[in-house]
Amino acid sequence: MCSACGYPAAPGHWTDAGAVTPGDRMRNRLIRMTVVNRILAPYRLNARDDGVIPGIQLSSGFGATVIVPDLEALWIEAARMARRPIDPLADV
Amino acid sequence: MSEGDGRIPLTIVGGYLGAGKSTWLRHALHVGDFAQAHVLINEAAELPVDHLLLAGAAGLTVLADGCACCDGATRFVAAMRDLCDRNVAAIVLETSGLSDPARIAAHIANDGVLARRIRVTETIVAADALHAAAQIGTEPLWLRQIEAADRIVLTKVDAAPPPLLARLAATMAVLNPEAVVSGAVLGSVVELPDTRGADPLPVLPVCGKSAQIRTVRLEVRAQAEWAAVSAWLSAVLQAHGNTLVRVKGVVRAPAGRLLLQSVRGTVQPPEILPASMTVTDEDNFIVLIGRDLDDDRISRSFAVLTA
Repeated sequence: MCSACGYPAAPGHWTDAGAVTPGDRMRNRLIRMTVVNRILAPYRLNARDDGVIPGIQLSSGFGATVIVPDLEALWIEAARMARRPIDPLADV
Repeated sequence: MSEGDGRIPLTIVGGYLGAGKSTWLRHALHVGDFAQAHVLINEAAELPVDHLLLAGAAGLTVLADGCACCDGATRFVAAMRDLCDRNVAAIVLETSGLSDPARIAAHIANDGVLARRIRVTETIVAADALHAAAQIGTEPLWLRQIEAADRIVLTKVDAAPPPLLARLAATMAVLNPEAVVSGAVLGSVVELPDTRGADPLPVLPVCGKSAQIRTVRLEVRAQAEWAAVSAWLSAVLQAHGNTLVRVKGVVRAPAGRLLLQSVRGTVQPPEILPASMTVTDEDNFIVLIGRDLDDDRISRSFAVLTA
């Protein structure tokens, strides 16, 4: 747990399953961010998971930045920032 | 069933009021299914419990006066935590007739202790063969229970004419294509009539949406990564959790093959399947089951975003 922010409060998110070694975990995080940023691009949002700051940093084009603990929180926060739901199935 | 992760297996037995849940469970305990299990019974109203139930179970707890999925949720979580502390071998939960099994699974996933200690292995839903035809059209809750099931047991089949039974079984296959449907009389398994050629009963729209359930199967290409697939799926579940009734799948990850299951937007912690099970190329897929799914749109989005 990070003593500054208190993460993780919840047990590992289901998307964190499937990686046991530190190498696999890091690899998963990098691949995940590629896909997340592909989905966020039409909404002018950007996510970063640098492995130094716990959680995922979500930023808008105007500079607002929020740290979220997992992907579920990321999609909720992104919808709030974009002022519309993030829908990967929509044509944008 | 994998025993490796140390979590306590939980079987949820649900079904509408008077569907025959207790009768089915009593018979299952009598013949020795769930022999090691602690039975947790939830009643929406205070009712005497048949002591015969005790005969086959390792222990029995009654949660009366409050439904585990809504007003009794706090007491349900407390009772489950208590069972975790006692380290029981397995738990069977008989829900009240007004419970939505998906919400019970969500309560477990959202509780920090239970999420680590409990694994929902199977949801069994009993449906009354006599009254199901009427409930389809009038009870949205009944429909939600059926959609949440892994196994549907049509009860009291001796009282229903075979043509109706065949139509009911065909209807269940439309409502929940992935579930196993069986018949029972007083808990004993009864062969269901052939559903071929049987007309499913008309399903009325629920909450303004057409109730037509569709299935979309997505093949995960060998080079696609679990991390990419799970990121895409988490976004889809966030946006379409209400229309996606279930997601099931087996996806390869660095640590092994993961068994993926969700009910209405709540994903259970994926289990790593034992390596002893033979690995074939077909075992890399996700199945989405939901209302008004657009097959082309989903396949295109999946292919483009996870490439």
